[in-house]
Amino acid sequence: MKKVLASRPVSRGSALAVGAVAPAAAVGIALALGSRNLAAATSLALLAVVVAGAVAGRGSGIVASFLSFLGLNFFFTEPHHTLAVRHASDVVALVAFLLSALIVGALVSRVREERSRAERRATEARLLNTATERFISSEPLGGILDGLAEALLGLFGLASAEISTPIGVGTAATGDREITAGQTISIPLETGSGSFGDLTVVRAADEEAFSPPELGLLKTLAAQTALAIERAALDGEVREARLQVEASALRAALFSSVTHDLRTPLSSIKASASGLLAEGAHYSEEERRDVLRTVVEEADHLNLIVGNLLDLARIRAGALVPSKQPMLIDEVIGSVLQRMRRSLEHVAVRTTIRPELPRVDADPIQIGQVLTNIIENAIRFSPRGSEIQIAAARWRSVVQVRVTDQGPGIPLEDRERVFEEFYRRDAGAGRGGTGLGLAIARAVVVAHGGTIQASAAPGGGTAVIFELPITKEDQHPDRPATVPGSVTT
Amino acid sequence: MTRVLVIDDEPQILRALRRSLEAQDYDVATAEGGEEGLALAAAHTPNLVVLDLGLPDLDGTEVIRRLRSWTDVPVIVLSVREGRADKIEALDAGADDYVTKPFDMEELLARMRAALRRTDDDLASEPEIRYGDLRVDFGRRLVRLGDDLVHLTPNEYGLLEAMVTNPGKLLTHQWLLRKVWGLGYGNESHYLHVYVRQLRQKLGDDAAMPRFIITEPGVGYRWSPDASTASVS
Repeated sequence: MKKVLASRPVSRGSALAVGAVAPAAAVGIALALGSRNLAAATSLALLAVVVAGAVAGRGSGIVASFLSFLGLNFFFTEPHHTLAVRHASDVVALVAFLLSALIVGALVSRVREERSRAERRATEARLLNTATERFISSEPLGGILDGLAEALLGLFGLASAEISTPIGVGTAATGDREITAGQTISIPLETGSGSFGDLTVVRAADEEAFSPPELGLLKTLAAQTALAIERAALDGEVREARLQVEASALRAALFSSVTHDLRTPLSSIKASASGLLAEGAHYSEEERRDVLRTVVEEADHLNLIVGNLLDLARIRAGALVPSKQPMLIDEVIGSVLQRMRRSLEHVAVRTTIRPELPRVDADPIQIGQVLTNIIENAIRFSPRGSEIQIAAARWRSVVQVRVTDQGPGIPLEDRERVFEEFYRRDAGAGRGGTGLGLAIARAVVVAHGGTIQASAAPGGGTAVIFELPITKEDQHPDRPATVPGSVTT
Repeated sequence: MTRVLVIDDEPQILRALRRSLEAQDYDVATAEGGEEGLALAAAHTPNLVVLDLGLPDLDGTEVIRRLRSWTDVPVIVLSVREGRADKIEALDAGADDYVTKPFDMEELLARMRAALRRTDDDLASEPEIRYGDLRVDFGRRLVRLGDDLVHLTPNEYGLLEAMVTNPGKLLTHQWLLRKVWGLGYGNESHYLHVYVRQLRQKLGDDAAMPRFIITEPGVGYRWSPDASTASVS
């Protein structure tokens, strides 16, 4: 396992090695320069002590100080190649060197330690921050805990780390297969209000045991993790509570709107029919037919509302699972127009279907419902005698269906909202809708892996456009579906 | 007088149907359950059966199967079930047509007339059939649109023949595949997609605004029930 962080203490062996190699190098260089100048050699040796202290710490600095002292004594003071010292001034110089080397080494290594402590603190802070941020974010918890375990692995040079909590488990282990587990430490994840699982860290058998500062840091991390998990759990509860409030507000709105929607056509049916039955009522044949036509139209409207509500209930219950099969969108368009011909009496319908349209993977009944709802909506906003255009064409890997009306259009800021449940636009002279048609259309199209949007039609009006993925076998435009015995002419 | 048997467990529906059908001069018998309906069918030999699927004693599809074991009387299903699977099951059991509730009486009457006309004239035994400017000569297997000969492949012709001899009837994918391609077929809906498209193209028909071949999405096809334009020569 590669140690990711420089602040890990250098092992004792390598500290000694650095402490030995640095002065040896210094003495070697001084000798190579052919100099017997004690002053120059002293400067080089002092440099070696600084390097050793800075790179490998206090111990290394001390070792380097004494070795340098001996080296200077052996090679550079007369008599050479003995540890005896002839001149008193050399003794003073050597002792002064040793003292200053020890002091400088200590200072340098302290600086180093300070720096590595600061680095480590920064790393800890970063780790805690990322962990907290990710806990608050909406990332899946398993991933967050895995990331945290991975970070611990690097920070402490672990063989493996596992964070086990009631809301998920995160694990990380080194890729080295031949690691034998050594020291294993398990720290509970606790906050004032309870326990949130355990953090278990394992170091390889050939690594040193956890030092007290490392244990302290692990405990801090465990406490922070526990807090973060607690906060995440609380956030979840708060969100849940808020959703429930919203849902009950929605239910209330739904209830009052549904009551109104159901009662209106029902009232007009009842009024019309009882009016015909009323004693002493005088209707001409034409008036009677007119009243009965109202009854039929209102019953159709009631049926539409009930159908929409059932669809909404299916969507809410997650029961709107499309039973997909390869189908031709132009056939569904034809069948929907056929079924809606009575409501289409006051508008003109023009269809533009590209020839050789590929098939789409969809539920024909549900897509029929989508088209019905979109066309229903278009009719509602269409002035008498205007045109509704229905176009279908291939676009890359989807078939795009576009229903365009010549109504007043939808302002840009409302184009997304028309797909929300119970959002209604003012239909002007026409009858209001249930506020559900387009919401259901969107839910169905999305369940099919498609998209739906409203945009401005050229020359005013609205274009509702939806796209459905093309059936796999039809995706290559040069290879239309073929059938044995098929003869194309 | 044409005898119609209506099997439905909702008294209000029975009452409404009885009124409307009698007003159209049908002789109406009603049953509120499957067993009662089957017994009435045997006793009265109706010319047509209107059947609800959700009956208290027997499932409507089972009623169709039992009827089909001894009679070819046209059966029109009248049901609130609008799922594809329900429709296909009832049609494959032998129903002629499927109308979903709430229904339009005019629509039901039109479907009934089409079904009754199919039993009256056995179109398959006619030498030629005509729908507006479309003429199908069964003897010589020739199809003309106006004055032009329409060149069809054998399968296209088979498909056309299966449809024009059953005007107004809802023909399921499986039925058509078996009829045209043979008994080993039934799930190859894409064959139909391809052939129906080719046939429409050759007949100048438009899937989005059909004149001849009407689609029941996911279920099957129906030759335009507007049989008033049909004439046998």
